[in-house]
Amino acid sequence: MDAVRTEGLTCRFDPLHGVDGLELRVPAGGIYGFLGPNGAGKTTTIRLLLGLLRPQAGRVWLLGREQRRDAADAREGVGALVEYPSLYAHLSGRDNLEVSRRLLGIPRERVDAALDRVGLLGDAGRKAGVYSLGMRQRLGLALALLNRPRLLILDEPGNGLDPAGTLQMRALIRSLAHDDGITVFLSSHLLAEVEHMATHIGVLHAGRLRYQGSLADLQGRMCGQVRLQCADRGRLLDCLATLGEVGQVDGDDVVVRPARHDDSQLLRALVLAGVPVHGFHRERPTLESLFFGLTDVHGDLA
Amino acid sequence: MSASMRGALAAEALKLRGTLAAWMCLIAPVLVVLLYVLQLAVSGSGAATGLEWTGFLRSLLALWALLMLPMFVTLQAALIAGLEHRDRQWKHLLALPVPARHHYLAKAATLAAMLLVAAACLMVAAPMGGALLQWLRPEMGLGGMPPWGWLAIQIAAMTAAAAWMAVLQLWLSLRWSSFSVAIGVGMAATIVGFLVGQSARYGPFFPWSMPLNTLAGGGELAGWLAAAGTMGGLATGAIALGRLLRRAPD
Repeated sequence: MDAVRTEGLTCRFDPLHGVDGLELRVPAGGIYGFLGPNGAGKTTTIRLLLGLLRPQAGRVWLLGREQRRDAADAREGVGALVEYPSLYAHLSGRDNLEVSRRLLGIPRERVDAALDRVGLLGDAGRKAGVYSLGMRQRLGLALALLNRPRLLILDEPGNGLDPAGTLQMRALIRSLAHDDGITVFLSSHLLAEVEHMATHIGVLHAGRLRYQGSLADLQGRMCGQVRLQCADRGRLLDCLATLGEVGQVDGDDVVVRPARHDDSQLLRALVLAGVPVHGFHRERPTLESLFFGLTDVHGDLA
Repeated sequence: MSASMRGALAAEALKLRGTLAAWMCLIAPVLVVLLYVLQLAVSGSGAATGLEWTGFLRSLLALWALLMLPMFVTLQAALIAGLEHRDRQWKHLLALPVPARHHYLAKAATLAAMLLVAAACLMVAAPMGGALLQWLRPEMGLGGMPPWGWLAIQIAAMTAAAAWMAVLQLWLSLRWSSFSVAIGVGMAATIVGFLVGQSARYGPFFPWSMPLNTLAGGGELAGWLAAAGTMGGLATGAIALGRLLRRAPD
């Protein structure tokens, strides 16, 4: 069962903003990175998933239950942090959680358990208004965890965090997925953040899903290039041409995207031809390069 | 009452901890009593003819109904709605597995409770103000027991008649996140209510002047205004709830 599934989800505010015909499939378990540039429709998608917006067309299922705006039970087992955390500044961190606890009607012990999980137990008595940005983000995450969710929907959780805060947040999210078995749906425009955490990704551009699947699959589909170091570049280029491959000089190196050989065949052919190759390195595409490839109008893989 | 609704009410109570809104339930009635007593004590008006309890309380309640009650309702509605608007709490609240109507109903119940607490404070503060005035200016003739029954019925009628105004003000405050919209409309309506309230023809039908009109005429009009205010509040509340439930949070 998919933790999140949508069918033809559409909500257009104008021709440039909103989402169009979204077919999300978020497998249960693991971390799904929902990537897209600013204005791509990530927050709109999250608001639609949580029933905060009414779709113009399409349907949403969370944990197998169909989501409707007026059906509170469809959000059982779902925790969310939408955009930045919404806190009552005049209340302490603990009381902020207590407000949600009373609304949810869950045991009192859950408050301290959630605070402990995000490392805020020591500061729980301080007013939320004096919390740093990182502490606010962690308190927001504690609010999302209060109901012991099986699905956690996080909208840009790394926004505004310093490097140390980013690392803490990343470790926490990874631990929630791996140790607690929570499916995490994480939207971000920070490619490095998603690359370090996500098992699956969806790439949204201009309200449309450009790719969805595992990160490894995507890297496989968009093969990288081979970088060669050789003392005699002229001979290397001639040999590559003989083998039916096209090499290009890049600084001191030669790069090639092998079309007719796999890596081992190519290396063997060059050595047998007596080309003095002393470096052979396959470059895997980074998520960044994949992302820009996909969000280019010509790079649609979906 | 469902457990979820009880939870929503308990959450509202916690949100009010240490807020101005909570203190205003005490401050507003005490302030209006103190100001009126101070004015009488300084000016000495009524000393020549003698004031008596009913006259003193009637003028005091008129001041409450005309000015302080509409302003109190305006401010309280804006403050309790502002708790959710300030940090865009609605998106968190409405994403919880709790029926959305419970959040709005809990807000209405909170405002109703605040009105009742303020009314109870006024019920205590008004005779205390009279006693203070008697101590300061014995010649005003406020001796003896205050008319407790009359005072209780009058404050109850006034509070019930304020229900329509309170619901309208709460709807405005929940619908628009801007504090100034709710305050601006409330202030303007208070002034209009002051003018309309002097008209025997239109005064009993304008929500902001209905509490004041409970003092006019006999008990029959007060009873009618209390019922009309409550019914108007309930009907408007049902419409407001339907409209708010259809609306996406900011």
